[in-house]
Amino acid sequence: MNPHPDLTSSVLHGLGWFYLILFVMNLWWTARSYKLDGEFSKDTPILGGVPVATIWAVLSAILLMVSAAHFTGTSSPDTFLIRLPEWFKNPVDAFFADPKIYFAGSLVLFWAMIQFREWWIKDTVAWSLLQGSLIFLALSMSDYDFRQIVGKPDNVPIVAMLFIVSFLTWIYFRRACDNDRRIEEGRPLFEQENNEKVLVWPDLVYTELICMVLLTVVLVFWGIALKAPLEEPASSVKTPNPSKAPWYFLGLQEMLVYFDPWLAGVVLPGIILGGLMAIPYIDFNKTGNGYYVFKERAFAVTTFLFGFFPLWIALIVLGTFLRGPNWNFYGIYEVWDVHKVEAANNVNLSEFFWGFPGISAIYGGMPKGDAFLGSPVATMLLRESPGIVLIFLYFAVLPPILGLTVLRKYFVKMGIFRFLVFSNLALWMAVLPIKMVLRWAFSLKYIVGIPEWFFNI
Amino acid sequence: MSGDKPSTDDILAKLRGGGAPAPEQADDSAAEASAAEESAPAESAAPAAGGSPLDQIRAGGGGGAAKPAEAKPAASGSPLDQIRAGGGGAAKPAAAKPAAGGSPLDQIRAGGAGAAKPAAGGSPLDQIRAGGGGAAKPAAGGSPLDQIRGGGAAKPAAAAKPAVAAKAAPVDTAKASGMSAAEMIEAARKGVVTADPATGEPKEAAPKKVALPKKPLPGKAAKKAAEQPRRDFLALLLGIICSPLVWAWGSLVAATAASSLAIARFMMPNVLVEPPTKFKIGPPTDYGPGTVSTKWKAQYGVWIVNAEVDGQPLIYALSTVCTHLGCTPNWLEGEQKFKCPCHGSGFYKTGVNFEGPAPRPLERHGIRLAEDGMLEVDKSIKFQKELGQWENASSFVSV
Repeated sequence: MNPHPDLTSSVLHGLGWFYLILFVMNLWWTARSYKLDGEFSKDTPILGGVPVATIWAVLSAILLMVSAAHFTGTSSPDTFLIRLPEWFKNPVDAFFADPKIYFAGSLVLFWAMIQFREWWIKDTVAWSLLQGSLIFLALSMSDYDFRQIVGKPDNVPIVAMLFIVSFLTWIYFRRACDNDRRIEEGRPLFEQENNEKVLVWPDLVYTELICMVLLTVVLVFWGIALKAPLEEPASSVKTPNPSKAPWYFLGLQEMLVYFDPWLAGVVLPGIILGGLMAIPYIDFNKTGNGYYVFKERAFAVTTFLFGFFPLWIALIVLGTFLRGPNWNFYGIYEVWDVHKVEAANNVNLSEFFWGFPGISAIYGGMPKGDAFLGSPVATMLLRESPGIVLIFLYFAVLPPILGLTVLRKYFVKMGIFRFLVFSNLALWMAVLPIKMVLRWAFSLKYIVGIPEWFFNI
Repeated sequence: MSGDKPSTDDILAKLRGGGAPAPEQADDSAAEASAAEESAPAESAAPAAGGSPLDQIRAGGGGGAAKPAEAKPAASGSPLDQIRAGGGGAAKPAAAKPAAGGSPLDQIRAGGAGAAKPAAGGSPLDQIRAGGGGAAKPAAGGSPLDQIRGGGAAKPAAAAKPAVAAKAAPVDTAKASGMSAAEMIEAARKGVVTADPATGEPKEAAPKKVALPKKPLPGKAAKKAAEQPRRDFLALLLGIICSPLVWAWGSLVAATAASSLAIARFMMPNVLVEPPTKFKIGPPTDYGPGTVSTKWKAQYGVWIVNAEVDGQPLIYALSTVCTHLGCTPNWLEGEQKFKCPCHGSGFYKTGVNFEGPAPRPLERHGIRLAEDGMLEVDKSIKFQKELGQWENASSFVSV
């Protein structure tokens, strides 16, 4: 008997309810679609229109049948047919287990989110995306390993977060695109047209009261349904494997993989906080106060969302679902094998540089001891000189170059001081993805590595 | 003087309380006084002087120092003046007015005791408080602004000396000059209206007198005051020591210091429940060639490794603390490496880092072959490879 069965009776039972809820949701949506779109929706590229409501009706019917199948199949889970096939799981695993592909995928998704914003904010498209993700979740639940990760009480809020963040982003883009169109057509903004005022008491206070009650109910049921993830008593000699930070710090923990603790734990978080506080002083764009807009603030919104989605949310997802024992990468359907071997022989930039055939031949490899000027410190600095030069170029020379070329517009508007602050903050933000990619692609450990002084970049 | 101006409320309070009651506000006694005055203007000065009864009541004991006799000389003004000055209502000789505790507001603020202090203009401190206006003549201390601002400090020296009658409440003089309320407020703020000491007639004083308080000139009063600086200093010191502010901050500092000491003491416990830093781990034969022993990991936090380093078989004790962020790595027998579960740092059997973010090799602890043939580990010493300390003979035992 398989100790880790993909499907059990209770899983089938739960999935039956899940599909039933999906069915009810789509039934409502079918009715809504029939009322709004009519029998044939004209708002489609296909000539003659698409019978949108009919498609939703068919989907609802399928969901109802799937739900019924799950309820009736609870007696024989081993032979149950609706489960993810291996030919689907394996490529997905390969995609997620390779951080290069995963990170590139998150960048592409980010780009698509900005680029196709007019498209995916539409009701039908957004609903399709939501249903697609929910059905994907339900199907994936039929996999044992996926269920172990996603169903862990620790990780439930992260799954919820993904949906909530998507929803809020959708609201933003929907309102912003609406206002963009209004500005283009010279109509008043949505916020100006609908600026009806309501009273704090009772309108706002009642809303808050209702939210408070609902939130309390959710928390109580959550507390009853999901056990607190308590573990054995802590021991200084036994670290859980993998050892994960609270989910909201997983982005920070991921940064620690690529940087020295003082950098990833102190400097970078400090720069994140300081940079967020500096935004109002750097921003010279006065538009967008009090209303949603994208085009007027495209640069600001894109920069912020880049820091938020690929560099924060995506890293939380990476840390939660993809990091396994020994902090290796695992696909979402992959077994957490403690003995998974991952080639991770990391080398410092200095080792790359001095080991390079031409340089090695001329200078005889990496300087050691007090070979240079008879001083160990001078030798050490010479050893790390390639990295030091690179860091200097990056933070001291690159900003002026950017200001005179690509970002000239910003330089002119901001003035020298604000521009230097801005460009350095932007460069610091870019440090993380650069280092991640270098690590994954070239196994680069540190650009400057001076363990003697605890100074590693 | 501090640069803050009296608020409008203060000034209005001064106008209403300090001046002679306006006709329309006249209470019974004022009405009586005016009635008496009408019949005999010259004599009425005395009752009127003592006779702003309201003022006296307000002024408390200090106000009581006003003697009708002192007021008398000044009361010799022509009736016309008096009528003009008093507005015909509670008409009082202007000069007598201050004697009657003319700045009742001050006296109320100062309390009875303050008002009783005779050499008010004398002590330098008081003069400073009062704005130093009283430099040449204590009487000048009565610049209206100072009286209002100075509060208790501006002592109505008038009570002792009739000459100081010049401390005339500005309001009276202002009133006497027939100014409107707004003008009076303005004047009081600027402090330009003062009273002539002799007649109580309003007189324009040089604004700079108020704006730039002069240092006390070596006048009569200053000489007097010079006799008591020591006593004043002691009183000042006592006042500082006894002030609630000092007590509050003092007790705060004391409490903080006490708790800091308690914390410092907490850092040095009487009994330290920690494993000994030196311990025997059995004979070298317990650790076969090429093995990593994890049996002391839980108790002492060391791995005992028997491995070849640079072709030489050694036994050494590796610390189980990851050099990245201090987690405890695991020994993976299959992969022959130490692997940290927190951020994926990996170390060879020798302790040298090769993967993940760990910047330097694991640390060795001191180890030696004791006299009884047992290996002894000393956790109080550590040897770091990047500092060249692994060459130290105390960091390994040759097999």
